[in-house]
Amino acid sequence: MYITLAILAGVSIVLSRIVNYVLADKIGLFQGTFFNYLTGFIGSFILLLVSGETMKLFSINSYQGSWWAYLGGIVGVGVIALSSFLSSKISAFYLTLLLFVGQLFGGMVLDYMVSNDFSIQKIIGGVLVVIGLGYNLWIDAKNNKASTEIEKNNQVSSI
Amino acid sequence: MNYLLSLIAGLLLAFMVSSNGIVGEAAGNYASSVIIHFIGLVAVIAVLLIRKAKFKNLRQLPLWMYSAGLIGIITVLFNNLTFTALGVSLTVALGLLGQSITSIIIDHFGLFGLPVSRFNTKKIVGFMIILFGIIIMALPV
Repeated sequence: MYITLAILAGVSIVLSRIVNYVLADKIGLFQGTFFNYLTGFIGSFILLLVSGETMKLFSINSYQGSWWAYLGGIVGVGVIALSSFLSSKISAFYLTLLLFVGQLFGGMVLDYMVSNDFSIQKIIGGVLVVIGLGYNLWIDAKNNKASTEIEKNNQVSSI
Repeated sequence: MNYLLSLIAGLLLAFMVSSNGIVGEAAGNYASSVIIHFIGLVAVIAVLLIRKAKFKNLRQLPLWMYSAGLIGIITVLFNNLTFTALGVSLTVALGLLGQSITSIIIDHFGLFGLPVSRFNTKKIVGFMIILFGIIIMALPV
């Protein structure tokens, strides 16, 4: 159950990234990001009203988590700015691969910090996941180079 | 330096799974999504003001182009649901698997008007390694 949800979260990331990419291409990166958060905010609000948990928005208990946890939205905007800056500096191959590595091993550090959860298995498994992702990315990069130099970086994995 | 920044960007993405998950535990799944999107909205408005950005051509665009934020709600909701049960690293690993599979399907059929790029069967090897890695990560200690 949770495994399916986690995979579907990944599916939704790609779909929203493509739509964001198309919009940003037309109206600009941060203008596109603005609409991303605006529709996300309005949609969440409607969902909240329907859910019957509306009062939770105004309850003090909802704001009792660690203060830094509430910075997620700001960090999200920061990552968008950072990735757009980096995509003009380094190849899509290295950017995507390093994003994978950062996410997986950042996740392990956070698991340790948040719930003291650490194991050698997670590191070995994480290394394998990076190798597998990197191998497929490398095949894409090789094919892109072989096909057309002009139309390179046209695959979804490099958006 | 740019390579290090890329690693940090990845780390921040993992941080978001964890931070959003913590807000989710405090405020419930729906109120937390409103809070998270509101703070992001404020942040991006600040960026737009600083850059004195202008909005153009908004009316000519089809409505679906504005739907990314709605899809993003699913990301936040599902990540928050799995975060408590699976932790950050496994949520991230499974999410990356989902991303790879989706990218390949979209590329193979050229969906969303993107150029067709047929599935290369060599990639099955990569997927086997990813799956094996995820299974090892998920094994009980």
